[in-house]
Amino acid sequence: MIELEKITKKYPGQAVPAVDQLTLSMPEGEICVLVGPSGCGKSTILRMINRMIEPTTGVVKINGHDVTNTDSDQLRMGIGYVIQQIGLLPHRTIAENIAIVPRLYKWPKEKIKKRVEELIVMMGLDLEKTWGKYPSQLSGGQMQRVGVARAMAVDPPIMLMDEPFGAVDPIARTHLQDELLRLQKEIKKTIVFVTHDINEAIKMGDRIAIFDAGKLVQFGTPEEILTHPVNEFVENFIGHDRVVKKLNLYQVEDAMHPVQCVVRENEWQNVAQTLKDAGTEVAFVSDQAGKVLGHITLSDALELGGDVEGFKKRVLETKKAFVQSTTPLPDALSLLLEYNSDFLGILRGEKLCGMLSFKDIRNHVYKKEGE
Amino acid sequence: MSLINFFSKNTETIIEYSGNHFTLVLWAVGISLLIWVPTGLLLTKSDKWAARVLALANTIFCIPSLSMFAILVTIPTFGLGRKSALFALVLYAMMPLIRSVYDGVKNVDRNVIEAAKGMGMSTGRILREILVPLGIPIIFAGFRITVVMTTGIAAIATYIGERNLGRFISEGLVRSNTPMMVTGALIISVIAIGLDTLLGLIEKRIVPKGLRVTR
Repeated sequence: MIELEKITKKYPGQAVPAVDQLTLSMPEGEICVLVGPSGCGKSTILRMINRMIEPTTGVVKINGHDVTNTDSDQLRMGIGYVIQQIGLLPHRTIAENIAIVPRLYKWPKEKIKKRVEELIVMMGLDLEKTWGKYPSQLSGGQMQRVGVARAMAVDPPIMLMDEPFGAVDPIARTHLQDELLRLQKEIKKTIVFVTHDINEAIKMGDRIAIFDAGKLVQFGTPEEILTHPVNEFVENFIGHDRVVKKLNLYQVEDAMHPVQCVVRENEWQNVAQTLKDAGTEVAFVSDQAGKVLGHITLSDALELGGDVEGFKKRVLETKKAFVQSTTPLPDALSLLLEYNSDFLGILRGEKLCGMLSFKDIRNHVYKKEGE
Repeated sequence: MSLINFFSKNTETIIEYSGNHFTLVLWAVGISLLIWVPTGLLLTKSDKWAARVLALANTIFCIPSLSMFAILVTIPTFGLGRKSALFALVLYAMMPLIRSVYDGVKNVDRNVIEAAKGMGMSTGRILREILVPLGIPIIFAGFRITVVMTTGIAAIATYIGERNLGRFISEGLVRSNTPMMVTGALIISVIAIGLDTLLGLIEKRIVPKGLRVTR
């Protein structure tokens, strides 16, 4: 647990403090994102945790211990640190770069070698190819992987990440974010993550702290912040697509509802009647083996009457309208719009487990907003 | 022909002068490294002092060497001879050495230093393992210039009593002895070019490999 108690940082010659009377505690094992516009003091706060900057007044505590009681180099050795510019040593190989902190701890050579190999693999890099290379031979995304691996080398319980993915291209950034989240499920580090990108904050954060001009404006889970922004600043910072952003917090299975009607291919003549009897608007159609092919709505069924070819064609048109239950809700929304369909079938593996309509999404958001 | 003649008749003197020349250069460069490299490193800590000291070094560097020797000779403790010669050469080396060490270290990517510091590397370790190796290309360039320059200026020290290769040139000029002049000029040039080539080879070996590779 990291606790900041009434931290103020005032640089000489500055009228307004960079950080003003900040009190904040970041729970263990969570990603706490510090977010805000440029110059809001978020990086300064991060750097006060590992004493790269000393606060003017106030105390930083890690697990109850004042950080100023530890020698600053010792303190930093025990805290992973990743910066946007990565800062790999250009004259050292990738393996040597990752080995820096283990070497500071004077680990035996064999142990270092083993750990470095483990980390290169963990970061999804090719061990044989990457090992002996120099930083200038890697791409930006690969370099940042090495940067993260280096910070995790001695398995520190705390990691400080200052806009770690800010300088890589959007595709690599998404990858890195996803991998960090996947990794975090296993390693459960206390991560302090600085970004100016609210979308990244919502994606990465277990908790988000929003800053403006050195002051903490709001601190809460992404859901709390998206649902109840405390003031206009937060609202503007999140953007007018606040509710759409909130969809990012959910997966399809959170909003779907059960399928009420499934018919076999050869039962097409009775579809309209079956639907009327079931009191529902849509039927999913499966082949003889039980594999779902698509769906048909009541209005389509009525319109088609006995046209078997038309029926098959209509069902086949919807064959792509299926998503996995773990799909993020915004993707499902996008697919609904893309296929110009009212319904999506939700699959768990091959099996149909539910369905999703615009109404389901609306209901879900409304329910969450009303909480 | 007369050149070969001169060589064979004065072998001992040539060896003596070359030896003197060489040792003067060696001492001057050695002392300069001991003084100016640490000074340059120290100056990277304070921009204010760096500006002052570099300005001073520049000013010293601007003084013509003959004038410098003349001034030093008038100072009682120095007088004619090696002390003055060494002192002047060390002063001349100040500018290229301090400048290159300062620039070399200052040119190191700040982010690399920031990351290293953030990982808990001590100041001394950052200096040894990062600043110096990364600054080496620039520092070494300054060092090569210093060596070549010192070899040249050392010849002028003959006017204040150094018995070195410069003497062949000055005496040769006075006596209109062409072989003598050419011998002096030739050997000085060979020493300068030889040292520079040697240092070039050393430079290739000590510049970290990672700084030379590209994708």
